[in-house]
Amino acid sequence: MVAAAQHPNITLYTYSQVESVGGYIGNFEVTIRKNAKYVDYSKCTGCGMCETKCPTKKVTSEFDVGMGQRTAIYKPFAQAVPNKPVIDNKSCKKLIDGKCGVCEKVCPAGAINYEDQDELVTEKFGAIVMATGFDLIDWGKLYGEYGGGTIPDVIDGLQFERLVNAGGPTGGKIKRPSDHEVPQTVVFIKCVGSRDVLKGKSYCSRACCMYTAKHAHQVLEKVKGSDVYIFYMDVRTPGKMYDEFYMRTREVDGAKYIRGQVSKIFQDGNKVIVRGEDTLVGQSVEVVADMVVVETAMVPRPDAVQVAQTVGFSYDKDGWYTEAHPKLRPVETNTGGVFLSGCCQGPKDVPDSVAQASAAAVKVVAMFSKDQMATNPQIASVNEGTCVGCLLCKPICPYKAIEAKEITERVHGQSVTRTVASVNSGLCQGCGACTAECRSGSINLKGFTNLQLLAEVDAACL
Amino acid sequence: MKRIGVFLCWCGSNIGGVVDVPKVAEITRTFPGVAFVQENKYTCSEPGQAAMVQAIKEHKIDAVVVASCSPRMHLPTFQKAVQTAGLNPYMVEMANLREHCSWVHSAEPENATQKAVELVRKAVAKVAKLEPLFESYIPVTKRALVIGGGIAGIQTALDIADSGHQVVIVEKEATIGGRMAQLDKTFPTLDCGA
Amino acid sequence: MSVKEKDVANWQPKILGFACNWCSYAGADVCGVSRFQHPSTMRVVRVPCSGRVNPHFVLRAFQRGIDGVLVGG
Repeated sequence: MVAAAQHPNITLYTYSQVESVGGYIGNFEVTIRKNAKYVDYSKCTGCGMCETKCPTKKVTSEFDVGMGQRTAIYKPFAQAVPNKPVIDNKSCKKLIDGKCGVCEKVCPAGAINYEDQDELVTEKFGAIVMATGFDLIDWGKLYGEYGGGTIPDVIDGLQFERLVNAGGPTGGKIKRPSDHEVPQTVVFIKCVGSRDVLKGKSYCSRACCMYTAKHAHQVLEKVKGSDVYIFYMDVRTPGKMYDEFYMRTREVDGAKYIRGQVSKIFQDGNKVIVRGEDTLVGQSVEVVADMVVVETAMVPRPDAVQVAQTVGFSYDKDGWYTEAHPKLRPVETNTGGVFLSGCCQGPKDVPDSVAQASAAAVKVVAMFSKDQMATNPQIASVNEGTCVGCLLCKPICPYKAIEAKEITERVHGQSVTRTVASVNSGLCQGCGACTAECRSGSINLKGFTNLQLLAEVDAACL
Repeated sequence: MKRIGVFLCWCGSNIGGVVDVPKVAEITRTFPGVAFVQENKYTCSEPGQAAMVQAIKEHKIDAVVVASCSPRMHLPTFQKAVQTAGLNPYMVEMANLREHCSWVHSAEPENATQKAVELVRKAVAKVAKLEPLFESYIPVTKRALVIGGGIAGIQTALDIADSGHQVVIVEKEATIGGRMAQLDKTFPTLDCGA
Repeated sequence: MSVKEKDVANWQPKILGFACNWCSYAGADVCGVSRFQHPSTMRVVRVPCSGRVNPHFVLRAFQRGIDGVLVGG
């Protein structure tokens, strides 16, 4: 993280989002909205005085996934990069009704600016790499039998990460949320929302088998004498040193793996009862637990589809970004100049994300190795002589490559201006959808022209 | 009228073991526009390509059909080959005699041969209508935008930046680091997430 | 069995396929790689996208006597 912030060639726009994308491969024009931070980063020294003094202290921390609290002016976590705060305008008293202003008073650098506004910047780029990552499925809505998110000591894997993290709300001590007691019996349930065609997602989320083993290892290591039960469908550990890690958790650490699904979780006094089935012995089982961790499915970020539409490339039914070819072009999209990095393409673990990230970088660098790039000549072209300018082709184009163009020509000695369709050769990907839409046959696809394809049809039907 | 050259590939026994290639060659010679037909054991191999280049020059061929495997596999190969012979790379069409014929009709060689003839005829018909195409060149802005500042975005940005190009990371949150920053140790090495 | 019935029994429809280069044409290639045997009466025209298939192409195929058209995309 720090390496990225300090790199002379890298500019960070945090607290920002992409507003619109125009242009095409090699020449994108991107408008970025820099949300108001209310803190002047050129003055802020990151001393943290504002956070210490902020009277609004009970805002639920997004970074701690609800396991901790933060102030209204905040850094998401102590080692944040950049290590400077922003003011959350939804919880800051000063910004809501003008009654506070403590941070401005205490800031020794005079960096607080309550008048700060969102800023729009438009910049040119040759390539865009998508690295929007993943979220966890909203299991509470889907799994009422697991308490539907109402049992405080049933948490998800990311919340467990915050519990066990030295920088987290408990300082790395595993304490359950309800009464901050150290849980002696912890149950992990895998595949919650994954491989569940009826209620969740059809796919395997791929990283959970391994991080569940890691979670189990961490409980057994940190809480002496604890019991860990793991309900599972299968254990999938393809990866270097992965199966060894899993076997160590099972054989050396002593995690108890139960093959079967959990049918019900409910609160009983200060215990959480987990009822399920052990399919290997064909018996129902009940575990009296102190805490339960549901290892939930990875899903795309909630705004992933919207971002894909803004940038202009395809995604699948679940909202994962679609690669140009599953094996041969795994880090490219079908839109030229847009590449995929990490989990936005589909669930991945850390090594795979990093590998794909470097692969995407190489694709970009290869593109940048030349000053000019050759375009595929098999694209649409308009016969302006016959085009009537109806522009039916414009909305049909999935790549926004067709625009209206005014042309002026001499007709009977007079100068006449009329509208025709015009293909942007940088944007056109040569799909030919416009050619089928064109009523007057004025758009043709080079390399797959009407004449060429009809010749093929005729020859094939002889 | 174009002088079309047809190069029929045996692909070892992959095609030649099912399709009667000499028979296809014989019939292909009668198609309109076909000026030259050659069989090859492996057209994509170095001697196969060399033979093609030589034939294009010797027989003044100006459009080519390669009847071999899938264009998704070897079209770029043959585009380069005809280019070395001085032709426009878009004057090539392939007939997919392997994936779409010999491999899937190996139990009925006579029908496969009949289909191969028709596939070649179809490709010849298209090639007769082909026109040279020319790539155009567009300038490249050598700056990259990375959307998302998690571990993947950071890794991509660092790799691009290390090669000397400017990178902008746009991150929705107030910090980069993403999910990885939230994690404690990660498997299998149990080192830290930061 | 009369001659006519016998012809009907042996009759195989001749099919013209339009296959998208990126999906169904690739699928037909995979079909080949996996040696998936099927009737030899289909001819595939490769198109860059099923969206390229102009309805005129389909009509022309029927005019020329094809029995069925498959557009894959």
